[in-house]
Amino acid sequence: MEIFFQQLINGLTIGSIYALVALGYTMVYGVMKLINFAHGDLVALSAYIGLVIMMQLTGASIPNYIVIPAVFIITAIVIAIIGVILERIAYRPLRHAPRLSAVVSALGAGMVIQNGIMLIWGPRPKIYPSDVVPAVYWNIGGVSIGLMQLIILVLSLILMVVLYIFVNKTKIGTAIRASAIDQLAAKLMGIDVNKIIVMIFVIGSSLGSVGGLFIGMYYKGIYFNMGWIYGLNAFVAAIIGGIGNIPGAMLGGMLLGLFNAFIAGYVSTTWADAFTYILLIIILIFRPTGILGERVAEKV
Amino acid sequence: MKRLLLALFVVLAMVSFSFAAGTIKIGVQAPITGKFASEGQGIDNAVRLWVEQVNAKGGLLGKKIEVITCDDEGTAVKAAICARELVNKGVIAVIGSYTSTATEAAQATYFRAGVLQTSDGTSDTLVKHGYWTFFRNSSPNSAEGKFTAEFFMKFKKYKRIATISDYSTFSVDLEKAVYENTKKLGGNIVYRGKIKSGDQNFTPILTKIKSYNPDVIYFSGYYTDGGLIRAQMKQLGIKADFVGGDSNDNREFVKLAGSAAAGAYIINVPLPEYLPYDIAKKFLADYRAKYHEDPPSIWTLFNVDGLRAILHAIEVLKTTDTKKIADYLHNELKDFPGITGPITWDKNGERITSAYMAYEIQPNGDYKIVYPTK
Repeated sequence: MEIFFQQLINGLTIGSIYALVALGYTMVYGVMKLINFAHGDLVALSAYIGLVIMMQLTGASIPNYIVIPAVFIITAIVIAIIGVILERIAYRPLRHAPRLSAVVSALGAGMVIQNGIMLIWGPRPKIYPSDVVPAVYWNIGGVSIGLMQLIILVLSLILMVVLYIFVNKTKIGTAIRASAIDQLAAKLMGIDVNKIIVMIFVIGSSLGSVGGLFIGMYYKGIYFNMGWIYGLNAFVAAIIGGIGNIPGAMLGGMLLGLFNAFIAGYVSTTWADAFTYILLIIILIFRPTGILGERVAEKV
Repeated sequence: MKRLLLALFVVLAMVSFSFAAGTIKIGVQAPITGKFASEGQGIDNAVRLWVEQVNAKGGLLGKKIEVITCDDEGTAVKAAICARELVNKGVIAVIGSYTSTATEAAQATYFRAGVLQTSDGTSDTLVKHGYWTFFRNSSPNSAEGKFTAEFFMKFKKYKRIATISDYSTFSVDLEKAVYENTKKLGGNIVYRGKIKSGDQNFTPILTKIKSYNPDVIYFSGYYTDGGLIRAQMKQLGIKADFVGGDSNDNREFVKLAGSAAAGAYIINVPLPEYLPYDIAKKFLADYRAKYHEDPPSIWTLFNVDGLRAILHAIEVLKTTDTKKIADYLHNELKDFPGITGPITWDKNGERITSAYMAYEIQPNGDYKIVYPTK
């Protein structure tokens, strides 16, 4: 039973990160019907930018409880700006082009970011300082949980709840939902869809940046090409939950993390990735729109 | 005509002079330029430094030693040319080369000419040709496996051992060597697993390993994963020791593992600065004094050790007959005190005394040699 609960914690930790990144995919897809393949690399970039900001701040002898929130906020702002620029350069000119062009553009943008990271910071892994978040662990009945894990779980949960309330209870949230259903009708109702899309990129990129910082602070080592792995997993999570659906991305991320941990723990570590895709295929067979995705009634 | 005669005279004079001086010629075949230039130059510098010191004390058998260097650029083609050139110049022994490729390309030429060769090449084929002229002076994966097994069983006396590798050929082979040697010593391996390099989240496999309750987790992959494995072990409250293979020997291992790095063991051929032998300390100090830098790597020192063993044989036997020297090195030389540890060769010219060491990482990130115990 100890092992079960330990794998549960292991799975929820990585699952929270997947969920945060998956939200970026799902929101952009929801409104623009575009898979933003550059999102994973944006997450990787945020880990690097976060490290730079952290090094600047820790050099200035500011206490850590100020440094860490500051790093999160500044990085989120920087990445949100980059996300908006990305939309402006890579996606807006293609908004009325065939969908495939935009996907290719997204892949290209991802490569530009990835290679940019490599050119600026080099191909060798960079390492986060180990003393920023103290390595404190609690042992509850043989199950271990660390301070950083707790921060990841709690902060992810808060962000997701805030996002859910924002989308469902505010005026802008309503506009976002309206744009997701039908952009043209939304425009006719007086919604500035361009502004909504900028908003989507701001939110999606900031959430991704939190994910990137979690990766850096929890796993320490960051790589210029790590965006691909995390991006792919988050993308799968978004599809499992139902792409375009915000609670779906959260659920998909958590499920994927848990599924990985339990397969690795009880079946085989070697097969964990293969089982992820088997799960994906099974879900797509029985629920093509994902677990929480809406069934679209086809008109005949 | 006059000029030609003069030239002939000069050449004759030079030839007779070199005969009269009667130097002992030692060749260096190394990549002085190209991708491995720093390693090649290190070998050349170190050999020249040692020879200078021997000459300063009056040389060997009353003769001075002369070093002839040939740049093989680390390639097979250049290596074959170098071999011919050095043989023609009358060397009795050649130190090098750095790469297995260049070493192998030159082996046959030295064998046919009866010229001794020592190299740090790690490829297993080097010692399988049956050339009596060849002496390998570094250790292959199998030797690291054997050393690691001895560290487990004889020094730490682990009862339950878990091993992890990644999917690379190197890591899989090393883990296999460790596994087989540990089994041979009667070790109890309770779990063997694999991780995907770069995955970062190793908590699922470590949680699984925890249920096997091992005394030690051995990892044969690279430091980028090893450091995280060590950190996540600590985080999961796994009390087992961590032992990492040679590719965990990197400064960044400590950064990745953070405070968990303390107490981790790493097995590798020693870094030059960690060599505990007096002769090593003196040689490194002399090298630094002369070239204002450290030798590029341990491989430099393996090559100097090859030279030292050969010079030692010449001194003991009082001859430069290569056949007799080879016999001596194969059969008589036991635990010759090398810079890189005791040197003994088997019949195939394989160095059987392991130069490996186990380090324990200290709380301040420094290394401490714990095995072999002095």
